[in-house]
Amino acid sequence: MELALSCITQLGLYALLALSLALVFGVSRIVNLAVGDLAAVGAYAMVATAGLPFGLRIVLTLVVLAPVLYLLERGLLGRIRDGLAGMLVTWGIGLAIRQVFEVVYTARPRSVTEPIAGSTTVLGSVYPTYRLVIAAVGLAVVVAVLVVAYRTRAGLRLRAVADNVEMAALMGTRPARTRALVFAVAGLLAVLAGALYSPLLGVTPAMGFSLLIPGFVAVLLARPASFRGAVLAVALVVALQVTLRRYFSDTVADSLFYVVVLVAVVVRANPHTRRLLSWSARPARPARSVPA
Amino acid sequence: MVRSSGTPRAQRPRVSGRTQLRRALPAALLPLSLVLAACGSSVGGAEEAEGDDLKIGFIVPATGLASATGLAMQAGFELAVERINADGGVNGQDVTYEIQDDAGDPATTSQIARRYSQDNAVDMLFGTITGDTAAAVQPIADEAGMPFATAILGDPPVCSPYAWPFGESSRQLLAIQVANLMEDYGPRIAFVGSDYNFPRDYAEAAKELIEANGGELIAEEYSPLGTTDFESTIGRLSAAQPDAILAMVVGSDAVTFTLQGAQFGLLTPEMGYEGAPLDSDYFGAVSAVTTGREHVVRWADGLEDEDSQAFVEDYVEETGLQVPVSEVAANAYYAMLFIAGAINDSGAGTREEINEALAGFSFDSPLGEGTRFVDTEGGGHLFQADMLTATVTEDGYAVAEDHGVVDDVTVSCQ
Repeated sequence: MELALSCITQLGLYALLALSLALVFGVSRIVNLAVGDLAAVGAYAMVATAGLPFGLRIVLTLVVLAPVLYLLERGLLGRIRDGLAGMLVTWGIGLAIRQVFEVVYTARPRSVTEPIAGSTTVLGSVYPTYRLVIAAVGLAVVVAVLVVAYRTRAGLRLRAVADNVEMAALMGTRPARTRALVFAVAGLLAVLAGALYSPLLGVTPAMGFSLLIPGFVAVLLARPASFRGAVLAVALVVALQVTLRRYFSDTVADSLFYVVVLVAVVVRANPHTRRLLSWSARPARPARSVPA
Repeated sequence: MVRSSGTPRAQRPRVSGRTQLRRALPAALLPLSLVLAACGSSVGGAEEAEGDDLKIGFIVPATGLASATGLAMQAGFELAVERINADGGVNGQDVTYEIQDDAGDPATTSQIARRYSQDNAVDMLFGTITGDTAAAVQPIADEAGMPFATAILGDPPVCSPYAWPFGESSRQLLAIQVANLMEDYGPRIAFVGSDYNFPRDYAEAAKELIEANGGELIAEEYSPLGTTDFESTIGRLSAAQPDAILAMVVGSDAVTFTLQGAQFGLLTPEMGYEGAPLDSDYFGAVSAVTTGREHVVRWADGLEDEDSQAFVEDYVEETGLQVPVSEVAANAYYAMLFIAGAINDSGAGTREEINEALAGFSFDSPLGEGTRFVDTEGGGHLFQADMLTATVTEDGYAVAEDHGVVDDVTVSCQ
């Protein structure tokens, strides 16, 4: 049971980050290297607003940052069509975020007080209550975003831009606006992850780097425009990581984890595997007329 | 004096107007230097460290992961130089220094040390925080026959006749840490550390001392640097049912481990907890868990002697930072006073003379009466100063006991 709880707790964090990466990559084909640093923004926002109620601090942070993220995309990423250039821009954004925090707060670690103390017994396992709460909140937000993406008209436009931007534009969707909105939402997911999990972590300017790996692996394993796939992939990645750490020392577990991930990525990149995956996802073709 | 242009201004300790002018001058001269360099001149390189004045090449991670500790060391060093110069300097002349930011990167550290060495413009080197950057400097200092002082490492990564580590050694710390934990909590000790060389050496020394005291090291856990989830480590530590946890988890991991250890019910008041996470660097982040616990240090801002309190006051005024003042700042401060005293006492002028002066000097300071270096088994030096047990309070570190000098000549340098 403890293993399952541990997986769920970690999944709450990494599903938010993986979905954030997948959304931006899906609509812009840009690997957002600043996603970990955006999580750090969320954590430092909790440090900066200490004293206010925890929930209010999170809401305030998201409200303030939403327009900032939108304008950031329109100002810096909006005109970039090259994935590599976009990746470098996000790397620069992350670097700037880290430097700002280092100047303002120094590199000395900070902490955030958890708003809910104590433990809860779940099927015989005693587990910190706050971990259960943030896992539930994180996963609920991920499910909500997926519902919007796959069950609403806004989600239809999002997936249209992700699948074929030219066709989507011809059909009346505004890709630039969609990309900016998606970047803002994706950024807020990362910020939320950092804010929720800040009471579990030492908050430093470089903390975002430690949060990147599972999300990146998930995006590598999933299809580019598949947000559900990214969440499913990160669930597998987290389950693997937590299980290995349960039975091996952390160092050995991490080594084994990277070996498995490397093999998985190589297999995933194999043309035959890609073809198999594309067949499984390809919609049925319309029937063609038989020549007389 | 030349400063690294890469140091964010807001991170630097506040300085006086006169100091700012001194610092601005090199920037104003930079274009001229570039022109001369383009013409093939060796700007500053031809200058010899002649005469009896003391010129120091200071290397500090003013940016990067170790910058908080690095900037504390820099502030302590600069305050000491100001005091030395106000008291008449060294050999009747002001101490001067050049500061370069290595960002905690050994490759950069090596380049800086090489330049200091090749320019032959400094008499000795001072600084670095992490063992890998100190290891990058030492061979270059050895080659140049130049003393190299550090403020944090008691176990230098390389034993050398030119290494002058003003920090405490692992065994000087552990002798008291282990005794305190076993006396207060019990004989079953578990160890947790970040996974690199130093914590593993630290655990090995701890195991020897624990067994020598009749206890048992019942668990050893290591986690890669940057670990964000210690749940499995905490689970294994809990399963071992220790009486106390000895921790050498560093950086943000120290905070993460401490917070999660408390959340999972491992770090209760009944469980002993000692080690790096209780250092002043992490005080603000973990004091809710560590307040009331004992921590072994070489210097604490709770020392009530006049000199320490004056230093604390100057440090807070100069940097604008709040107490507790970092131990490494005090180490750097009293290290510089030691160095100046040694040179004044002997009248040393050359690098070799300074090296000899440091070896034979004895100095009274808040770190202890007659602090001095002794030779170690590996051919290096170890600083002999008092060790203290301090109690972590809501305001800082209150000194509970002065243990005097802990004899040790067995440092773990290679």
